[in-house]
Amino acid sequence: MSLQMLPEGQETPDVQVSWEDQTRINTFSKLNTRLTNLEEEYQKTKDEMEYLEDVSTEIELIDEDELVQYKVGDTFYWIKQSEVVERLEKDTENASASLSELDEKVGTIKDEMNDLKASLYAKFGNAINLER
Amino acid sequence: MSTTSSSEPKPGEAGYVNPRGIPQAPFIEAVEEYVRSRDQVESILQSFQEMLSKYKYMEMSTLRRAAGLREKIPDIQKTLDTVLFLDSKRDAEEPTMLTTFELNDTLYAKANVTASDSVYLWLGANVMLEYPIAEATDLLTAKLKAAQESLKLCEEDLEFLRENITTVEVNTARVYNWDVQKRREEKEAGERIK
Repeated sequence: MSLQMLPEGQETPDVQVSWEDQTRINTFSKLNTRLTNLEEEYQKTKDEMEYLEDVSTEIELIDEDELVQYKVGDTFYWIKQSEVVERLEKDTENASASLSELDEKVGTIKDEMNDLKASLYAKFGNAINLER
Repeated sequence: MSTTSSSEPKPGEAGYVNPRGIPQAPFIEAVEEYVRSRDQVESILQSFQEMLSKYKYMEMSTLRRAAGLREKIPDIQKTLDTVLFLDSKRDAEEPTMLTTFELNDTLYAKANVTASDSVYLWLGANVMLEYPIAEATDLLTAKLKAAQESLKLCEEDLEFLRENITTVEVNTARVYNWDVQKRREEKEAGERIK
């Protein structure tokens, strides 16, 4: 994304930039960075979610009383399959909650950015570039 | 330490300084009033360039601080998770568990661990202290919260820096465009005279 006005001034933009416009441009730029970070976090959480789902399916193949190595911090604890299942359920719940929270945030930011884009393009036309 | 009083500039007003002392970049209301004569263009662009590199420098160091915190937070979280896990095992019918723990990089060994009433926390500087589980939990929770809080402030600063970098970039483009236009006007005027 580039926010530079046309440097060569072929079609000299004769539009004045007001403080309001500047604020819009700044907000857009800020939201754009925020969006990049959130999307990264979203992907990470989504991967985590998939791992949890995979492991939850796999663990069904193990007998309830058998001991499984469950990782907490940097250590594996040998605990019963039934307890691991419980803990995995809780982990999945947490991951899914933060996933939908992130999804909502991304949506709000995208909406806001589209609004800003519309008003900025309306005023500056191709003197401004708001694409990624 | 500065305290905010009502007379100090608010965000968006000229002269605003954010809570961590980062100044807001000046906004140009009208280029022709700001520049006045074409001789000034070069020195003005130069000063914008300096501002920009100062902001970029602050951005770099803040990014580094944020990266450090992003590393620290999962570490604290892991320790807290372990303490909470041991706590949950204290009253279990079988408080002793077999564990596979990391003895060294890529080397794991087995050990029997009994969840007891206290844990030892490494405080750094070769100091380790014994804490009752509840106190350890409180300490770690407080540390985690503090780290998350400073990460939030780092992110706030980064966004503020981003905004100001954008302002300076737009300023630069506007002054540059104004100069190009003026030069063209002068050239056209010169041709007309010939």
